[in-house]
Amino acid sequence: MFYSIKQEFYKLRHKKIAWIAPIILLVLMILAGYALNCEEHKLLLVLCFDAPDWIMLILVVIGTTTFSMEFQNNAILTLLYKATNKVYVYLSKYIVLFLYDVFLHLLALVYTFCLHYTLFRTSAVWTMTYLYSQSIWENMLTAFMVDLVTTMLIITLVFLLSCLINNNAIVVTLSFLLVFMGQTISSNLLNSNKFVNVMKWNPLNMLNLTRQFGNYSMYVETTHLNNNQILIGSMFYIIIFFVLGYLIFRKKRY
Amino acid sequence: MNQVNERILEVSNVNTYIGKSKIIKNISLKIKTGEIVGLIGPNGAGKTTIMKTILGLTKFTGSITVGKRPITETSHRALARVGALIEHPAIYPFLTGRQNLELYARDKRDLTQLVSTLQMDSYINNKAKGYSLGMKQKLGIAIALLNHPQLVILDEPMNGLDIEATIGVRKLIKRYADQGTAFLISSHILSELQKIMTQVVLITSGKIIVNQPIEEFNKTSKQKYKVLTEDNNRAMSLLQKEKIPFILKNNFLVIDQKKHFCYSGSTFEK
Repeated sequence: MFYSIKQEFYKLRHKKIAWIAPIILLVLMILAGYALNCEEHKLLLVLCFDAPDWIMLILVVIGTTTFSMEFQNNAILTLLYKATNKVYVYLSKYIVLFLYDVFLHLLALVYTFCLHYTLFRTSAVWTMTYLYSQSIWENMLTAFMVDLVTTMLIITLVFLLSCLINNNAIVVTLSFLLVFMGQTISSNLLNSNKFVNVMKWNPLNMLNLTRQFGNYSMYVETTHLNNNQILIGSMFYIIIFFVLGYLIFRKKRY
Repeated sequence: MNQVNERILEVSNVNTYIGKSKIIKNISLKIKTGEIVGLIGPNGAGKTTIMKTILGLTKFTGSITVGKRPITETSHRALARVGALIEHPAIYPFLTGRQNLELYARDKRDLTQLVSTLQMDSYINNKAKGYSLGMKQKLGIAIALLNHPQLVILDEPMNGLDIEATIGVRKLIKRYADQGTAFLISSHILSELQKIMTQVVLITSGKIIVNQPIEEFNKTSKQKYKVLTEDNNRAMSLLQKEKIPFILKNNFLVIDQKKHFCYSGSTFEK
């Protein structure tokens, strides 16, 4: 297992995209800072200048190539026979991508502090009470943890699609559609008013976790679930998608 | 170094399935330390499938042990000291040749030695995306030979290699075998491995039809080469010049197997 993780780190470390992504993240955070007005500066701090959305974007791109590069380069056979168990190959990829996800989130926190004291200086103070009767910095840390759950769900979804579909372009397109249009698809499903009690538990609704945390009153109308319910739903789908993805990966012919 | 004559690989009554169809039919095979076993058969005979099965990459029945430890589809613990090159070399184009080797190497001294033996020094620090087929093949072979394996499985290793590289790879295989490494090497061309293999396994339609030491095979085999060339007149004049007896039958040149034959651009089947 340790050997597989070490190999995955080595590959990620040598991929250009892994080093370019933090720069892209910073640029997109600056753009978000300029795009939104001062009234929303507190929310910008809590959501790290919209970093969750940009991190999702980066994870979809890196996540899909994680598997496709193995198939395209015929390296999957070597990976599989060298690993003592197939599950280690799948798990090590997941762990490494998750750790990269944590790294991006930590970087987003650092960027937020830097941007707050340089380009976007406002009257907002970290100790100021904001959402859920908590201070801005507490909100920001909670949003950090909440978004880790959302991104874990995204990684499992991307891995599942990568194992299901052999064409990388289709996986990328489909992942982007689900991650960024998922909210619209889900709200359309829930607008029909039929089976709302069942449909509100659809996996796409769970992708609203971070957004709802940052803007509860607006999103709860769409999701029909409170924060805790979405959190539990997300955890449930992370397990389901992970197991399903692994089973497909195991049964796949190489 | 491995113990002399220690049994490294034992394949007993193995059947391999792809979907519901049986691809490999009841094969048994044993390889000892230092042996070079040539798995010879036409395209589609099941050579790659046998190799994948040994590496625990397919669904199978029967038993496979490497160093007396069993291999299953899900557990590959016994493969810790097995190197392999299956189908195409497993190379990441965004890494250099050296980084591709480092990804799998436990000992970097071993890596440097392999690079120099396979004469890859001039391009090993370049990104693998610019490699030719032969360069990739050499790198794939080097990956299989890393970490002092007790068994090496090579699927058509001479593909894409020029004559000089082929001779170099043959020498390298022989050297490793002399140190105790066992080899299972597939090819659809018998002559490619004839000079180095100690055991020949002929396979067709998923069944082993011959499994014997190469000396025995050479003695008993009275078959002839049936050669199809692009230019029979030129081939015949070359054979006459070399004083190699032949007959022309149904547009094929039939040549005694014992005679050495090499004609660029021709294809042949035995």
